[in-house]
Amino acid sequence: MKVKIKRWHAVAQWRWDTGATEQDDADGEEGDVCGICRVPYEGCCPSCKMPGDDCPLIWGECSHVFHMHCLLKWIGTAASKQQCPMDRRAWVTAERKVGAVNPT
Amino acid sequence: MVSEGLRLQVASKWQESFRHLNRREPGISGLVTFSQAWNIAAEFLRPKDIDVPNDRIYNEHIKAAFDTVNRAKRLPVLLETFIEDMRKKFSLVQHDVNQFMAEYEASQNPQIVTKMLYRVYTYKQVWSPPEELGSGLLSAYTRSFRNNFFLTLPTSFSGAFRALCASTLPSSDALPEELNAEPNLWYIFNILGLTERFEGLIANVGYDYIHEYILETCTEQWAEPMLEGVKEKMSKQIIPWLLSIYGRGDLHSEEAHAMLQSVAPKFEYHINKTLCTLRTREIFDIIIDFPDSMGALHDLKECLQRVDQRENLVDALRKSNHKRLLHPGADTKLILSQYVATIKCLRIIDPPGVLLFKVADPIRRYLRERPDTIRSIVANLVGDDDSGDSLVNENEPIHPLQQTEVEDYTDQQWEPDPIDAGPEFRTNKPSDVVSTLVSIYDSKDLFVKELQVLLAQRLLAINDDDTEKIDGERRNVEILKIRFGEAALQVCEVMLRDMSDSKRIDTHVQSQLPLVVHPTVISRHFWPALEPSDLVMPGQFLELHNQYALEFTKFKPDKKLRWFPHLGTVSLEIELEDRTVEAEVPPLEAAIIELFSQQNEWSIDGLVDATRVPDKTAILKALLTWVNLGVLREESETTFSLLEVAGDVPVGSREPIHRPTAAEPELPHVVSIQQQQAEQMRMYWKFIEGMLTNLGALSLDRIQMMLKFAPGYDRSIEQLATFLEAARREGLVVVRDGIWKLNR
Repeated sequence: MKVKIKRWHAVAQWRWDTGATEQDDADGEEGDVCGICRVPYEGCCPSCKMPGDDCPLIWGECSHVFHMHCLLKWIGTAASKQQCPMDRRAWVTAERKVGAVNPT
Repeated sequence: MVSEGLRLQVASKWQESFRHLNRREPGISGLVTFSQAWNIAAEFLRPKDIDVPNDRIYNEHIKAAFDTVNRAKRLPVLLETFIEDMRKKFSLVQHDVNQFMAEYEASQNPQIVTKMLYRVYTYKQVWSPPEELGSGLLSAYTRSFRNNFFLTLPTSFSGAFRALCASTLPSSDALPEELNAEPNLWYIFNILGLTERFEGLIANVGYDYIHEYILETCTEQWAEPMLEGVKEKMSKQIIPWLLSIYGRGDLHSEEAHAMLQSVAPKFEYHINKTLCTLRTREIFDIIIDFPDSMGALHDLKECLQRVDQRENLVDALRKSNHKRLLHPGADTKLILSQYVATIKCLRIIDPPGVLLFKVADPIRRYLRERPDTIRSIVANLVGDDDSGDSLVNENEPIHPLQQTEVEDYTDQQWEPDPIDAGPEFRTNKPSDVVSTLVSIYDSKDLFVKELQVLLAQRLLAINDDDTEKIDGERRNVEILKIRFGEAALQVCEVMLRDMSDSKRIDTHVQSQLPLVVHPTVISRHFWPALEPSDLVMPGQFLELHNQYALEFTKFKPDKKLRWFPHLGTVSLEIELEDRTVEAEVPPLEAAIIELFSQQNEWSIDGLVDATRVPDKTAILKALLTWVNLGVLREESETTFSLLEVAGDVPVGSREPIHRPTAAEPELPHVVSIQQQQAEQMRMYWKFIEGMLTNLGALSLDRIQMMLKFAPGYDRSIEQLATFLEAARREGLVVVRDGIWKLNR
């Protein structure tokens, strides 16, 4: 017998590839939240209405991840002193190392 | 002894009387003529048996006698004597009456009563003193005759008289002219004083006639207004009848018309009342028939303005609602549509809405308790109604939801509430149906959540290239936005965008690497929680998953895909040795058939391990789908094998259960609102448990207060009480005097 798939309507969910390993992700079903607005990464920052590409994430050299809009707003304030809000190190936006976290 | 004075007094009286009667005639000749005249007159008047021939003639001779009596001012005494004589003679009448009544009772024929009345009338005519004696005498006679006559009547007479009156009524198809057939009869009634004495009874005959007529013509005739027709009919039949009664047979006398002025409104009132009572009794079915029962509704409205039966209407409707609608046997959809019809109907009958308010309250309370009310309403809103019978009129303009307004104190057009409005009555402005339905619940959030669940199910069920359906959903959401507000439906907006994004991404992925899989990629947090599944797709399916995920990540470098393997549908073509079977099945079915392509025989336990779906019923169901398609065969209770060649079904094997060829397209498993709430409550249970452990026993109020500190806690105290009650039934907590503590 041969099973031939003619068409498959599947359902999937997208996730930000935050660099967390697949294992962590599966366990922490709730997912991580943005350290500034406390909204999950896959949600959107308070000023946005649409998640995903319209409200992307930003990665720091310090390994912290935020909603881009949240971080830019933070950096825009004088109090921020251009530091990462989590560890007070100077904020440097990291290059995405796409291949590195994608073993397949 | 008699004193001198008294004697003198008697003597002078005697003298005076004598003089009086003697009229200054010589000797006692005056007295003699008087006594002769008296005898003549008394004899003339004395009632006699009318069957004995009697030629009583009022001639000069008798007239002279009466003159004599009159001159002596003895006429009143004569009258008294006459009346007394008549009373003695009335046994004749009594005898006749009894005879006739006995005959009537045997035959029940009203004609006998007519005969009797004619007979009595003859008595009265024969016995009557001549008119020349003055109207005073005549009327005294008439009065006395009537009184005596009434005394002779047995109790059964009123029934007989009623039957007689009824027989004079025009039957519904008789022409009005025929009414005049027996004007004499009415004349006799009048002479005998029956019209006055039995006025109520005659009226009742009329009322009964109206009653029967209305019941006969109007029962279950709701399409057209009947009131006008009935009134017209009545004015053609009852009015002439009344005229013949009061007009003493003369249809055009002034007096009759004057009489009618006072009687006709009573009859009109009775028409209204009867019709009103009838319609009140039928109201539930009238509402069911709406809008084909407009006529009845308008009638009812008009009747209610004249007759004060609003309370009855409310009572009747509440009772029938309770009996026929608000019970577990009724479908929620049915209740809703009846409720909507009730709203529409009662708005016609009573525009201010007082009746509606009173009737709607129990329905709303009942609906609030039904678990699937919201679902039904929402399903209806988005047109997901199998019956196709939408609650909402599509031609109606769409309004934003109306909140119950606080009274506007500056309103110049303000009018007080109607008098029978209760203190809780709120004039809800003639708002649209959806607002009314949504206002069954305190907040519209529940609706929005349910909408979301429903939309999710529908969107996930859409097959990828069916853009028309997605457009349909988008239109729905746009309409709902107007009702519920933009912000509330933001989530739905994201869901719709996910649909179009998925399509766009898929087009791109297909252009890079053509694959048969076309996923819908959804945004977490914006869709209702989807039931997780442990299903692992085997073989080529897993391959496809991985290939697609890779392409996706190439296209969107910072995103990755997480599959919901158990959702969606697969179109398969199964190539067997002698045939090919095409089927559209859920993923679990596909996974199982894929496993059979690796190995010809599987046990259910083996499949549970291979698919990692612990639910044996689900597996069995999937297997049966293939059995029904003739691809698999049930070897034993727990093992199934592949049928490479059709028809080699072993003898004695079970008849396959016939089912439609395609596996039933199930709606995707979206966690329902109730499940979500139960899930949340489980979290709060942790809090409650902690609280009761640390603080010992607590009252319900106290627990509620403490829980309010928990983030996102939005339950009412009633909901909490229900929850605790459930916990108590499970033996987790105990309650005494309203104090809850852990059961240890």
